[in-house]
Amino acid sequence: MTEASTAEHPAGRGAGLAPPTAYALWCDRNFKWLLVAPAVALIAALSIYPLLFSIWISFVNYDFSVPGHDFVGLKNFRQVVADPVARWSVVVTAMLTALDVTFEFLLGLGLALIMVQSFRWRGLIMSILIIPLFISPVIVGQVWALLLQRPFGPTDYLLSQLLGFDVTISWLTSPPWNFIALVLADVWQWTPFMFVILLAGLTAIPPHLYEAAELDGVGNWSTFRYITLPYIGPMITLAIAFRLLDAIKLFDTIFMMTGGGPGTSTYTSSYYLYQVGFQQFHLGQATAGSWLFLILTAIIIMGLVRRLLRAEAKP
Amino acid sequence: MNIGHLGRWSRLLRFAALALAILFVLGPLYWVAITSIKPSNDYLAVPPVWFPSQPTLIHYWAALFAYRGLDGLINSVIVSVLATLLSALLGTPMAYSLARFNTGGQHLSFWVLSQRFLPPIAVVLPIFLIYRSTGLYDTHAGLIIAYTVFTLPVTIWMMFAYFRQMPRSLEEAALVDGCTRWESFIRVAVPLALPGVVAASVFAFIACWTEFFFALVLTSRHAFTLPTVFRAFLGFQGSQYGESSALSMVSLLPSIALGILVQKHLVRGLTLGAVRG
Repeated sequence: MTEASTAEHPAGRGAGLAPPTAYALWCDRNFKWLLVAPAVALIAALSIYPLLFSIWISFVNYDFSVPGHDFVGLKNFRQVVADPVARWSVVVTAMLTALDVTFEFLLGLGLALIMVQSFRWRGLIMSILIIPLFISPVIVGQVWALLLQRPFGPTDYLLSQLLGFDVTISWLTSPPWNFIALVLADVWQWTPFMFVILLAGLTAIPPHLYEAAELDGVGNWSTFRYITLPYIGPMITLAIAFRLLDAIKLFDTIFMMTGGGPGTSTYTSSYYLYQVGFQQFHLGQATAGSWLFLILTAIIIMGLVRRLLRAEAKP
Repeated sequence: MNIGHLGRWSRLLRFAALALAILFVLGPLYWVAITSIKPSNDYLAVPPVWFPSQPTLIHYWAALFAYRGLDGLINSVIVSVLATLLSALLGTPMAYSLARFNTGGQHLSFWVLSQRFLPPIAVVLPIFLIYRSTGLYDTHAGLIIAYTVFTLPVTIWMMFAYFRQMPRSLEEAALVDGCTRWESFIRVAVPLALPGVVAASVFAFIACWTEFFFALVLTSRHAFTLPTVFRAFLGFQGSQYGESSALSMVSLLPSIALGILVQKHLVRGLTLGAVRG
């Protein structure tokens, strides 16, 4: 207890005051734990306890159509692994995540580079560009469904006008357009995320670095490559890591835009597990699947977040 | 990159890129706004009606009353406000303890952070079963508890970063003056950190307001929130464009307004305090 050395017996000291009770002393000694306890208890109650409970579920029969909870060993896990829809959902999740994060990063970086300089209306433009971050993903899905849906949406009409020939794309129901539509909605919503973080990184670069580079006659590209990029490197890692971890949970826009369809072609892992658990009520199988998904995610978290924490501890 | 020496062409290019970006952001929002006041006859017009000659508010009434959007709105307000308050109430002390006493070392803070990235699908199934057996399913209380837990990592990490950059000296002075540790926390540290608490709370509120997945699974006809009302518009392709757009407007306007208000804390909010911005 090094804190105690700042002031001895901080509880109820001072001339004329009654000596601290044993209770007050105990509270004071365990002060830091008392502050932490309620939050930790609540988080534990709603994450550790359910997770432990779900271990049990994943090893028993837990199905609304089959009564009883008999131990079934690894049957639930085997069912998930053997399910072609589950396997495909992993591919879809990986593909969409990769596309989403790549486009969001490139566009976000481009925007940040443009916005780092000060100019008139910059504040207003900034406020406009971040708007999508504050909208529910469900609504984003709904909005893009409205924009793209035939025959109602204006997209095909605008494309026809722009390209000069008749465009009749069923954006939400025919591959590969439905994937493009999903990426479009995600990019619309989350590019500002990358943009805002990268902009903060760019703003923090001391101007004298650029001045020195200019004096030495370093070209634009080299300046970007050898000054800008290394300087915002940690920020890039952080922004990509955060987006990656959120993108693999993709559910809302799938739910609103394609409903996983056509067929099961746009099932992401989260959507697949939701369908199995809450539409077909194979809870054992869904839970086993969610454990596999969780382990996959945990591996990514361990790798990325630990590294981030270390990077963050430095400055 | 070279800030002072942009030529006319690159300035033009920059202008064009910004114009495109703004169009890309506002275009879809304009379409929703316009659809929400468009008479149904204009839905399928070719070329599309960019501004209705006879705007109508009828879709708003339908969305709020016929589709129970108002009930969803009220539930959303109740659940989001209470969960936000609870999150600030529990999260601020924990953040203070982590920042000042390094409680639990890196393990505890890392555990909290990892909760932020836990896929909801992994916990929602067992929570659903627990809620059904404890009577918390489809209640405000149930969703409030879930949302509190779901926003706590954000609150804790934002406040953690805030407290860490606040000087200790004032709290130490209070201790020397005879305050208990509790008093120095409540009377000195919390008032100083109030701007941070407010910012963190706004982000927590927006997160609750826009959340869909937990609400979808843990509520049904009683405690459903605004985002879950959109389920009603699925499958009926063709007729509810106006209603769904009206409901979108009702949901997105408050959260955008709040978001713009705390704009200067945005970087901190998005990165859980890791980047100062």
